[in-house]
Amino acid sequence: MADPDIYHQLRRRHGLSRRDFLVATAVAAGMPAAVASAQSKSPRPGGTFISAKTTEAPSLEPNLEQALSRHRIDPLFYNRLVEWSAEGKLEPSLAQSWTTSADGKTWTFKLRQGVKFHNGREFVADDVKYTYERVLDPKLGSGGRGYLAAIEQIEVADKHTVRISTKQPSASLLAGMAGNWSSIVPREVADLRRTAVGTGPFVLQEWIPQSHLKARKNPDYWDKGRPYVDAVEIKIIPDEGNIIAQLRTGNIHHALLEDNKNYLLVKDDKRLIALRSPRLGFDMVNVNHGRKPFTDVRVRQALALAVDRTEILQAAASGLGSVTGPLTPAMKPWALPVETFKEWYTPNPDRAKKLLTEAGFPNGFKTTLKVIPTFPTMVAGAQVIAAQLKKIGVDAQIIQEEYGVWIKVITKPTFDFDLTMNITNGDADPDSLLYRRFHSVEKQWNNDGDPDIDALLDQGKLTVDQAKRKDVYDKVQRLMVDRAIQIWTFAPDMIDVTQNYVHYPQHFTTNYYGFRTVWLER
Amino acid sequence: MRRYVVVRIVSVLPTLLGVSFAVFLMVRLIPGTVVDQIIGTEGTYSAETVRSLRAFFGLDAPLHVQYGRWLWSALHGDLGTSWRTGLPVLQMILARLQVTAELTLGAMVVAMLIGVPLGILSARRENTALDHLVRVTSLFSLSIPVFWQATMLILAGSLWLNWAPPVDFVSPLAHPARNFGIMALPSLVLGTAAAAVFMRMTRSSLLEVMGQDFVRTARAKGLSERSVVWGHAFKNSLIPLITIAGIQVGYLLGGAVVTEEVFTLPGVGRLLLGAVVQRDYPLVQGTILFIAALFMLSNLAVDLLYAVIDPRIRRG
Repeated sequence: MADPDIYHQLRRRHGLSRRDFLVATAVAAGMPAAVASAQSKSPRPGGTFISAKTTEAPSLEPNLEQALSRHRIDPLFYNRLVEWSAEGKLEPSLAQSWTTSADGKTWTFKLRQGVKFHNGREFVADDVKYTYERVLDPKLGSGGRGYLAAIEQIEVADKHTVRISTKQPSASLLAGMAGNWSSIVPREVADLRRTAVGTGPFVLQEWIPQSHLKARKNPDYWDKGRPYVDAVEIKIIPDEGNIIAQLRTGNIHHALLEDNKNYLLVKDDKRLIALRSPRLGFDMVNVNHGRKPFTDVRVRQALALAVDRTEILQAAASGLGSVTGPLTPAMKPWALPVETFKEWYTPNPDRAKKLLTEAGFPNGFKTTLKVIPTFPTMVAGAQVIAAQLKKIGVDAQIIQEEYGVWIKVITKPTFDFDLTMNITNGDADPDSLLYRRFHSVEKQWNNDGDPDIDALLDQGKLTVDQAKRKDVYDKVQRLMVDRAIQIWTFAPDMIDVTQNYVHYPQHFTTNYYGFRTVWLER
Repeated sequence: MRRYVVVRIVSVLPTLLGVSFAVFLMVRLIPGTVVDQIIGTEGTYSAETVRSLRAFFGLDAPLHVQYGRWLWSALHGDLGTSWRTGLPVLQMILARLQVTAELTLGAMVVAMLIGVPLGILSARRENTALDHLVRVTSLFSLSIPVFWQATMLILAGSLWLNWAPPVDFVSPLAHPARNFGIMALPSLVLGTAAAAVFMRMTRSSLLEVMGQDFVRTARAKGLSERSVVWGHAFKNSLIPLITIAGIQVGYLLGGAVVTEEVFTLPGVGRLLLGAVVQRDYPLVQGTILFIAALFMLSNLAVDLLYAVIDPRIRRG
C-alpha cells in the first residue's frame, strides 16, 4: 500500500515533487504490501497520536450499534476471528487456523491462545459462541445478523476450539466473521455502549461524547510489539474546515477526510501528507422499480445512458475517486474493470432517447430526485445528474430531505421516492454487499427483484470454490448493469491527511483506522 | 413593585407549558423515529424487532399518554433519560450549560462594546459619510451567515497566522487565559451580528430622544453638548436597548447552536443539534424546554430592569 516512507524515499532518490507522488499514489495503491514494508524504516515507539473526525456514533457497542462511524474505530479495541487486511484480504486474527468438513457445512476454528480481554480475563471459545449468538438474537436487532445468518449451531469443542455448522455451504461465512458487527466480546460485560472491553491493541481510557475519546496502548496485546504509539486520541470536530485548520497548525496528526474537496486545501501544504487510496464505499442513484415508469427496463437503461459518470465524479468529488460498477475497484479480486461496461457507461443521449421513445416517452417525463443536504457529494452530484437527464427530456426535480426523514421515506416498506442519491460504505465480500441489497427477498435499496439476478446471488452464496464464485459474480455485475438495476456512479478516494512526520502505512479499504501500526517520527 | 414582579413570574408558567406541548408535538411531527435511526438503511430487521424496539422506547403508546408521562416526570424535575446515551437529560444539559452561558455572555459583551458606541457615533454624526459607512457595515455584518464567517475566520487564521482556535474546552475558572483563547473568536463571530442590531437600535433610539422637548430645554439652558447627550439623552434611550438585549439573548442562544458546532464547543447548542439528528426525543424536548426557560428568564430580568430604570413602571 501507499506509504509515507515511500514518499520520503522517492523524494530523496528521484527528486519527485509532492504532486508527482500523489499522482503515483493512486497507482501505488495496488503495490504489494511487502514492497512497502521492505522500504520502511524501523518504527519509533511512543507518543500520543491525535486524530480528528466530524461525527461519532451514539454508542461504542461493537455488535449492535448501527452507525457507520462506529465501524471505523472498532479495530482499536476489538478483534474478530478473521479480519480484513488493509489490502482487502482475509487474515487469521483471533482464529489461528481453520478447517472445513468435506460437505463444506462444518467449520472448525483453532483459536489463538494466551489472548486477554482488557479486563484481564483470558479469551476462550465460549466468548465466540456468546458473541455470535448475541449478533444472531433477533430481539437485539444487530445489523450484523444477515452476515452470520448461515450459522446453524455453534459448539465449544474445547477451551480453544470452536465448531460452527451451517445449513448449507457458505462462501461468505469468513467475510461475515470479519464483518462490521462480529467483534468478539466477553460474556461478563453486558453493556458495551459506553465502554469497550475487547482484545484489541488499545484500552479505552475516557470517552466524552461529542468531544473526544482517549485510549492507551494495551500492554498485553497479543500481536507483540504493536501498537507503536503509547496512546491515541480522537477528537470530534464537527466542521471539517476547522479540522483542516487544526492540521495546518499542527494541533492534530491525522484526519480521514469526509469531504474530498477539502483535499484541495491541503495538497500543497509542505507540512502535510495527503494520501489517496481506493475505498469500498461508493455513491449511486437508487431507482424505485415499484414505480412507473421505472418498472420498464428501457427507461432505466435510458437514464443509465444519459448520465456522464466522469462529470459527476468531477463535480461531486473534484475528480478524486474512480467511476465504478456494481463492485468497486477496491473489491479486488471481484470487481470487473469499468471498461467492461462501456456500452452503458459511455454517455449516449441519442440511444437513450430512442429507448425512451420505445418505452412510450418520446418527450421524456417529470420525476423527482432526493438528496440529503448535509451530504456534500449527494448535493453536487444530484445537480449534475438532473442537468444530464434534462438532455433526454427527463425533468428531475431535486428534493432535499433531512437525513432522518430520508431514511424513513426511502426504505422498506415505504419506498416513497422515484430516484434518490445514496451512499454506502460498501463491503469487501460480494455476497455481503449484493445479497441484502439486491435479492428480491431483501429489497433494500431499489424496491427491485429480478429472478435471474436472484438465481445468481443464490448461487454465489453457496459456491465456495473461488474461481467458480468469481465467474458467478462476473455474470451478476454484467447483468446488473445491462438491466440498469440502479445507476452506479463513483467510488470516492479515501484521503488520509497526516503531518509529514507521521508514518501511517495501513489504509483500509473498509474505512477502518490503521492506528495499530501508526508511528511518529518525532 | 412586588405585585408587578409576582405577575411577571406567574405569567411564565403557562408559556412554558405551551412550549412543552409545542416541542413535544413538533419533534413527533418530523418523520422518522429513533427506531428508524437505529435501523438505518442497510440493516436486516424483522417487523418483530421493529415492534419491540418501538415498545422499548414507549413509542407504541398514544400521543397524549406519552405527553402525560413526560410532563408528569418533568414537573417532578425529571426531564427523562437520553435514548441514545442512557444518561439523565438534565445532567447532560447542566454539564454543558456553562459553555453556552459563557458564549452567550461573551457575544453579548462584544455586541454591546461594538454596537452601542458605534450607534452613538452614528447618531451624533447623522447623515454624514461616517454615519453611512457605519450603517452599511452593520448591514453587511448582519447579512453574513454566522457559520460561513466562522469557517472563513478559522481557515484564514490557520493559513496566515498559523493559528487555529483550540478545540479542547477548558473552564474559565481552571485556566482563564486558555479559556479566553478558546472563547474569543466564537464570541466575536456570534457577537458581531448582534452588534449590528445594537448599533441600529442605539442610533434610532438616541436620535428619537435627541428630538424631544426636554433635550431642547437642556440645550436652551446652555448645557454643553456632552452633558446633553450623556446626562439627559443617553439614559432615556436605554429602555429600547434593554428590550433588544433581552430578545438578543434568544437569538444568541439560537446562534450558539451553529457557533458551537463550527468551533467544537461542548455546549447545549451542539447537544440539541445532535439530539435532533438522532431523534432523541427526551433530549430534544428537555433541551428546548431548558433554552425556552432561559429565554423567558432573561426577558423577565429585562422587565424587572425596566422597573429599576424607569420610575413610571416602578410606581405604576
